Amino acid sequence: MTMASWKRLAPAALAGVVFASLPLPAAAQTPIKIGASMSVTGTYAKPGTYQKQGYDVCIDELNAKGGILGRKVELVIYDDQSQPATAVRLYEKLITEDKVDAVMGPYSSAVSEAVANVTEKYKKVMVAPLAATTSIFKKGRKYIFMVITPAENYLEGLIDMAAKRGLKTVAIINEDTLFPKASASGTVEAAKKRGMQVVLQEAYPKGNTDFSALLVKIKAANPDVLAAGTYFDDAVAITRQMKELNVNPKMFGLTVGGDLPEFYNLLKQNAEYVYGSTQWDDSLPYPGQKEFLAAYKAKFKGQEPSYHTAAGYAGCLIYTEAVKRAGTLDADKVRDQLLKMEIKTAFGEYKVEPDGFQIAHKMVMLQWQDGKRIVVWPDDLANGKMRFPTPEWSKR
Amino acid sequence: MGVLITPSMIGQVVISGLLAGSLYAMVALGLGLIFGVMRVLNVAHGPLMMMGAYTTYWLFQWLGFNPYLSLLISMPLLFLVGVVLQRFLVRRVVDAPELSSLLLTFGISIALVNLAQLAFTSDLRAVEYLTGSFAVGPFALSKPRLAACGFAIAITVGAFVFLRSTRLGKAIRAVSQSREVAQVCGIDVQRIHLITFGLGSALAAAGGSLVAVMVAIQPEMGQVYTFKSFLVIVLGGAGNYPGALLGGLLLGLVEQLASLFLTAQVNEAVAYVLLVLVLLIRPTGLLKGRV
Repeated sequence: MTMASWKRLAPAALAGVVFASLPLPAAAQTPIKIGASMSVTGTYAKPGTYQKQGYDVCIDELNAKGGILGRKVELVIYDDQSQPATAVRLYEKLITEDKVDAVMGPYSSAVSEAVANVTEKYKKVMVAPLAATTSIFKKGRKYIFMVITPAENYLEGLIDMAAKRGLKTVAIINEDTLFPKASASGTVEAAKKRGMQVVLQEAYPKGNTDFSALLVKIKAANPDVLAAGTYFDDAVAITRQMKELNVNPKMFGLTVGGDLPEFYNLLKQNAEYVYGSTQWDDSLPYPGQKEFLAAYKAKFKGQEPSYHTAAGYAGCLIYTEAVKRAGTLDADKVRDQLLKMEIKTAFGEYKVEPDGFQIAHKMVMLQWQDGKRIVVWPDDLANGKMRFPTPEWSKR
Repeated sequence: MGVLITPSMIGQVVISGLLAGSLYAMVALGLGLIFGVMRVLNVAHGPLMMMGAYTTYWLFQWLGFNPYLSLLISMPLLFLVGVVLQRFLVRRVVDAPELSSLLLTFGISIALVNLAQLAFTSDLRAVEYLTGSFAVGPFALSKPRLAACGFAIAITVGAFVFLRSTRLGKAIRAVSQSREVAQVCGIDVQRIHLITFGLGSALAAAGGSLVAVMVAIQPEMGQVYTFKSFLVIVLGGAGNYPGALLGGLLLGLVEQLASLFLTAQVNEAVAYVLLVLVLLIRPTGLLKGRV
């Protein structure tokens, strides 16, 4: 090597040395930034806030244990106002401007579906803890992972309990929107598989307040089981009108609404015997449940976590566990770990198919008994016996 | 999967339809009144109804107030709200093109819903007061719906008597028929507008108080009723008050019968098809002219 060529190379070599020596200590200092948009305001404000609390508890727990990969973890959250379009813009910003190291999912199927296109484009792994719609995971996406049980399985437990008790007929009704529709069609499948006869299946429009005609038909069909794919106000209205029209199935189960404390507060004794389904309950004996509840109550005094909180918390733990196992933030390596990982968190089991679709997490069925939510299904998680059959309205 | 439809099922559904229809009629009468007198389409009608429902809820929750007695408070209260809205906002668009009044009341509607979300949160609430039903032969008469129907009929009849027989009622109808002539006759048109908007809001509030015992109360509960009320007044003939009654009962019946013979899914669609048919055959609505 001549002197001239050395002179030309020297600055480059020097720069190389400096460059190589700088990033390591710097990396140990800068926290890992995890970005997400959340529905803090707008229609989904309530569940969105619950989910964000789950992320917060998870991040605190990680940092208390020294962070991951030797770095602290920091959450960057923006409000998407429950609008998918806004969320899309925010994920673009998080990835391209804020240059976050990782992302987590937003609230709801609708918003997750919209932002999945952004995270796929930039090859960012996204664990989407509150996306329950099957189709999101069946579009050939590579980097999105599901945590909660899909809508189709919400009333699996109701059908299972009914079939075991020899019930033969079921009527299935649902609000005519994405999620209730999916849960109703899943229930129809489950019932047929168990040899039960679907004697009536019908949808009603969103915002329906008078269910008389529908319930008159159900009464005429006289099913053993009534399964309803509901949100909340419809769940309340249907229960009330069932009493008015004296509709008496042996079991009556709801998807969303029947599980909430408000359901009993609103209906009081008329909520007795009604079955609700939920993704999670604080009484379930899952590993880490006590620690999660203690941490939550210390941070959010006077509040109770919902399943959204537990799912958000678990989703964050699942993602960071995969990072730990991969030993890197590299999307493809973390993806490999997420695909083969099988873990149980305070939210229950996690295991996905190669498309990221959740197959291990279980729903539980609750029944209102003397004003309390009792877990009655599955048997290994139950903390009480189901009260069966549901007596006629006049005898409740 | 078909269910055999028996006459007693039809009877039950007709009863439910009429019970629901009487309530639609009363709420729509409020919207029709405002439209008839001012040519203002009040998109905020449903949210005003929602405020009536919250009034009943809070009175019940805090003071244990009988939900039906709370009509005596929710109606005057929303009358005042209506007067204030008219005095400071709606007045400005009375003679403007119809799009202006639509935009303004749409804005008021958004503001009311968001205010309710801020003040009361989006939590669902309910007044658990009257449940169950009376059994009359093979039919079940829902107690809360029967009560709502009774009050709705009484209030609607009261409103008709007021419009027909009192001086003020006649003045309102006069302004509705021709503002200029009414003015020439010495009627204070601005005052009539204030009272009309107040009355319209009070009728919405009555609807809110009555449904409070039947459905879950939340800030967005009113919107459905805005649309139903539009449907009713167009069906019945805009500006024709007895038409609102006819339209309301018809809508209640059509919704329930469509749910019975077809599916619940299409009951709204059937109601709108009926609307299109009425508009094609009788563009002025079922009953013509302003009364």
